[in-house]
Amino acid sequence: MTVSASGMAAERTRAELLVENLANAETTRTPEGGPYRRKDAVFGSRPMSASFGSLFESHLQEGVAVEQVSVDTRDPERRYLPGHPDAGPDGYVAFPRMNPAEDMVDLTSAARGFEANVAAISAVKDMIMRSIDLFK
Amino acid sequence: MLSRLSDTLERYMDLLSARQKVVASNIANADTPGYKTRDIDFQSELRSVLGGGGPQSFEVAGLPVKNDGNNVSLDRESRLLAENDMRFNLASNLVRSEVQSIRAALQTGGNT
Repeated sequence: MTVSASGMAAERTRAELLVENLANAETTRTPEGGPYRRKDAVFGSRPMSASFGSLFESHLQEGVAVEQVSVDTRDPERRYLPGHPDAGPDGYVAFPRMNPAEDMVDLTSAARGFEANVAAISAVKDMIMRSIDLFK
Repeated sequence: MLSRLSDTLERYMDLLSARQKVVASNIANADTPGYKTRDIDFQSELRSVLGGGGPQSFEVAGLPVKNDGNNVSLDRESRLLAENDMRFNLASNLVRSEVQSIRAALQTGGNT
């Protein structure tokens, strides 16, 4: 179940980053300066070896973790808004290069991934419960 | 503990739970770039586990690979999840009926 829990945590982190992207779709000021840049989670698989039981079958289980958060390096989108306080001398404002459709699709995929992990947990839980029922 | 049959069923259930773990790993890594679907060869593992020794997993061949090198198919994994669950249900019911028959024998033995 630790593996599925790690999957749920990773998908949740991914969903949080995607929501952050959507919220900041129009942000032109950031602490680092310049417009907001799109973030995405990169997953990596991890062998699970924290628990006692896994010492016997660590080769079977591989969990998942957010390996790094990749930041979009594409050039910002430039819109001509001379009245904007963040406009450059030429009247163009740098906006985040964001495609809401892209983020929404990724968000759906993260939600589905989360659900799949929940289904895996409940299946494993059912099996454990039935083993416990043998004692009754 | 019980008969040879329940020993076999116990190993079978062990193997099913090991497979369930592999399936859970596959689902958890459904979005990990480069991750390859793993599985347990059920038939040959059941034979070798009955002789002793832990199960080994291997990479599944012939699945469509996505752009990021990942080839986890959630459909395949959910089918396996449900299938394992049903097999485990059957095996645990068989063991339970065995336990119940022994218990019945103990109780009626005590009453006479």
